[in-house]
Amino acid sequence: MAKKGWTRRRFIQAGLLTTGAAALGGFAKPTGLWAATPKIKGPIKVGYQAVMSGTLAGYGDFHRMGATMAMEEINAAGGIAGNKLVIEFRDSTLKTPEAIQNARYFVDSWEADFLAGVDSSGQALALGPVMAELDRVLMVTHAATEKLTEEQVFKNGIKQIFRICSPTYQDGNAAAFVAKDLPAKTWATVSPKYEYGYTCWEMFKNTLGKLKKDVSFTGESWAPFGTTDFRPHINTILDAKPEGLYSTEWAGELITFVKQAKQARLFERITHVMFPVGAAMDVLEGLGAEMPDNIWISGRYFFLYPDSSQNNDWVQRFRKRWNHYPAYVSETGYATMFAFKKAVEAAGSKDTAAVIQAMEGMQLDSPAGRRVFRKEDHQAMYDVPWGLTAASDKYPFKIMGKQVMVPAKDCFNRPPFEGDESKPPF
Amino acid sequence: MNRHLNAFIAGLALAIMILIGLFGSRFVIYLTSRVMILSIFAMGYNVLFGRTGLLSFGHAAFYAAGAYGLGLYSLHVSSHPLAGILAGIVCACLLSVLIGFFCVRHTEIYFAMLTLAFGMMVFSLIWNMRSITGGDDGLVGIMRAPIALGLVAIPIIKPQAYYFLILLLLIVSIVLIYRIHHSPFGLVLAGIRENERRVAFAGVSLKNYRLGAFVISGTFAGLAGALAALLESHAEPFSAHWSHSAAPILVTLIGGLQTFSGPIVGSVVFIVLRETIERFTHNWMLWFGLILLVIIMGFRGGIVGILSRWRK
Amino acid sequence: MSLESIVHVCLAGLSTGMFIWLVASGLTLIFGVLGVLNFAHGSFYMLGAYCCLSALKIMGGNFWIGLLIGPLFVCAAGFIIERFFLRYVYHLALPYQLLLTFAFVLVFDDLVRILWGGGSLGSPSVPGLSGSVDIFGRYFPTYNLFIIIVGPLVALGLWVLIEKTWYGRVIRAASTEREMASAIGVRVPALFTSVFVFGTWLGAMGGALAVPYVGLLTPGMGEAIIIDAFVVAVIGGLGSLKGAFLGALIIGLVSSFGTRFMPAFDMFLTFILMAAVLLLRPQGFFGKAS
Repeated sequence: MAKKGWTRRRFIQAGLLTTGAAALGGFAKPTGLWAATPKIKGPIKVGYQAVMSGTLAGYGDFHRMGATMAMEEINAAGGIAGNKLVIEFRDSTLKTPEAIQNARYFVDSWEADFLAGVDSSGQALALGPVMAELDRVLMVTHAATEKLTEEQVFKNGIKQIFRICSPTYQDGNAAAFVAKDLPAKTWATVSPKYEYGYTCWEMFKNTLGKLKKDVSFTGESWAPFGTTDFRPHINTILDAKPEGLYSTEWAGELITFVKQAKQARLFERITHVMFPVGAAMDVLEGLGAEMPDNIWISGRYFFLYPDSSQNNDWVQRFRKRWNHYPAYVSETGYATMFAFKKAVEAAGSKDTAAVIQAMEGMQLDSPAGRRVFRKEDHQAMYDVPWGLTAASDKYPFKIMGKQVMVPAKDCFNRPPFEGDESKPPF
Repeated sequence: MNRHLNAFIAGLALAIMILIGLFGSRFVIYLTSRVMILSIFAMGYNVLFGRTGLLSFGHAAFYAAGAYGLGLYSLHVSSHPLAGILAGIVCACLLSVLIGFFCVRHTEIYFAMLTLAFGMMVFSLIWNMRSITGGDDGLVGIMRAPIALGLVAIPIIKPQAYYFLILLLLIVSIVLIYRIHHSPFGLVLAGIRENERRVAFAGVSLKNYRLGAFVISGTFAGLAGALAALLESHAEPFSAHWSHSAAPILVTLIGGLQTFSGPIVGSVVFIVLRETIERFTHNWMLWFGLILLVIIMGFRGGIVGILSRWRK
Repeated sequence: MSLESIVHVCLAGLSTGMFIWLVASGLTLIFGVLGVLNFAHGSFYMLGAYCCLSALKIMGGNFWIGLLIGPLFVCAAGFIIERFFLRYVYHLALPYQLLLTFAFVLVFDDLVRILWGGGSLGSPSVPGLSGSVDIFGRYFPTYNLFIIIVGPLVALGLWVLIEKTWYGRVIRAASTEREMASAIGVRVPALFTSVFVFGTWLGAMGGALAVPYVGLLTPGMGEAIIIDAFVVAVIGGLGSLKGAFLGALIIGLVSSFGTRFMPAFDMFLTFILMAAVLLLRPQGFFGKAS
């Protein structure tokens, strides 16, 4: 309350001088006296941004479910070091200025202690220098570009950024480890026509090329963002006649692609198919029985892995709370809050520098299993399986049947992120 | 009387801007910086739109040209901000000459559609020329280096210092655009809007004048884009998308189409409104759309138009 | 390059083109008669798809029932927009009309997200058309063949309506000589409302037909199609249905062949085509040179 009064008084002072500032009055931020945070004084505020409008709005909902549930559980159990956890959500859209404005609002106006979320890689990269200026920890829960951790954190030394989800290594490198044991020797791709798609395909080609000498890559077709008609791309692939198909299409576009590829009976001609983000809940539920069997899928988290009591209990609670199976962004959003809790309690402070120090190398037992935040690049190391789709009596959608695990330590690039020694195989 | 009142309002506005720069919190300074950049974009745009009566859907391309021009210059040539801004402006100016050359052959809806087509070509180029533009990641790592002026160097890394650079450029822009509006050139533009044929009979080359207006507005868009890239330390492809071209149109109509200060007032309302709505609801698009409807149906002259009618 | 490949690239282009035509027809009709470039047409497309899906779910899951009933709800939205909003801005400059319809885009995008949720919704299969046909050794969806046939049928229907019926004659009269039409006793405002609602219905039908075609509904799905529809309407000569039909065919084929043979260009190709037509033949393929 005292805090609020201070803001008001300052606002009046300023208001006497400026009528223009009056329009923005509530934004005036206490500085000086309040800028120095005493030993954890609550509440702990987390500003969370994710895409909540447009064609990907469903992802925002899933982010929100996970983070909100973590907040409820943490607060019911006494909060973070005795302080209440509060989360505010904002729509990040897909445009960078919006993401930057949100981050600045959260920190400078709403006085957030931590930031989380972010779906788009471009936004995550643009937020790098902003986070350094605002000096708050940002936990990225979805954006996957390896440049964020390799360049922004490791090379440019922006220590405020952490990432709790698996990056493109899981989509590119890990896929190559799985592909090397498949009989397919020619591979082609239909992937998104933006950096994410290009990077993953490049990684897949490089790593697979090193693991298996006699493979070749025979075709690629790049689908622009928002593609609803994949038939021309499917024609390109059928003309290339590969034995294996690799596609980093994701979310709604992957659903559309699979449906249209099925109509063209592509899966009968190409038997080895890999979808690095095919194990996303929206895709599995969206396709239901239409998802073909024996497709290799993976994701940033799959709700049936690991088969631990922590994960199974969590999935049950999540089902009860939201009547949904948890999507991978629900898990990363959920785990993020517990990462903040653990770091703050370990540091005995919510001060950014102290929290960064506590979080570097920190272990976190989360639904997805044990994560370790790598000290050098702040990337969470944890394992997500690759699996073959199979029907199940228990679920109205396909799940992973046979599973293969490529451990994070074997397929994630390593510091110093230069030269061949930094890239798998090690 | 009116003249005095206008001068008084302008003086007051300037005083407020300076006070915000001196005493505003970091977020207020950031948001006001964005308001000023949008104002430059919209005021320049209004030379073409309000003054000449041409509706363009492609000016985001020039905004992006400014942003990428500055970004590429500062990443590869020199990080001097003023040189970078100049590079951005030159890029936007050249691009608008090139595109304008084709577009001014038409007016009205055909002009709008041509600008849309060219604007989207630029968007597509930015998106696809990854090795130069960084694709959808954009240009990352644009820094605000100090402005070196011989012996002294002015650091603009601090938001406050950069705020005053934008304010200075905004004032320069306002003065320039005011001069343009009241020059013989500007009067011909208004003549073209009101009665194209009469102007043509007077022996004026309509195309050249339209092209002039097009390039002027494109150049100011470039200035806005360059300033935005410095503000956000980033240039992004969506800044070239047609939906971004809608921003100055929206802002001008909110503020008042045929008024001089309309684009500025509209920019303030646009950004403050959006920020305020987001504080109350997650359905910001719904509310923003509804408020737009009210403005169009009820306040057709825009805010400045309503106010000046009121004053009389 | 095999025959199989060429045929299928053609087929994909034809179905893309006819699909865009179904959406662009309503946009073109409204522009031709009312002179309004309707941004919200993409929203009608989206609403058509969502209403079709809901209607078919309520009525027991048959797609054809959804297709019949769903778009009618969207017509109600079209009626309200024309009668209570658009009518009052006809006399204003073009930007006001654009802005008004743009405001509706924002409102509808958010309403759909609020009413149906932000996540994507899948579509059920279409009775009778869910399979694929073997054409030269490669499979092509039956439903897309259906779209390729429906496109020209809709074009034919519109041609008959405009050229051969009393209603069509009145529309033509009112669109060229508004005052003259009202002088001879045509109730122009009511006529405009009816044309707008009809155009809305065409857009909503496009959306409903998109349910199985795209296979997925998302909020904001109208924004991608509206630009394609604009391009088609422009290439055909704004307001010309015949031109839009041909324009859609060209755009469909260009994008299909472009994706296959010039993948680097994608939408650049479409927009360069649009600019070229505007510069060389602004009146469209069938318009008379002014």
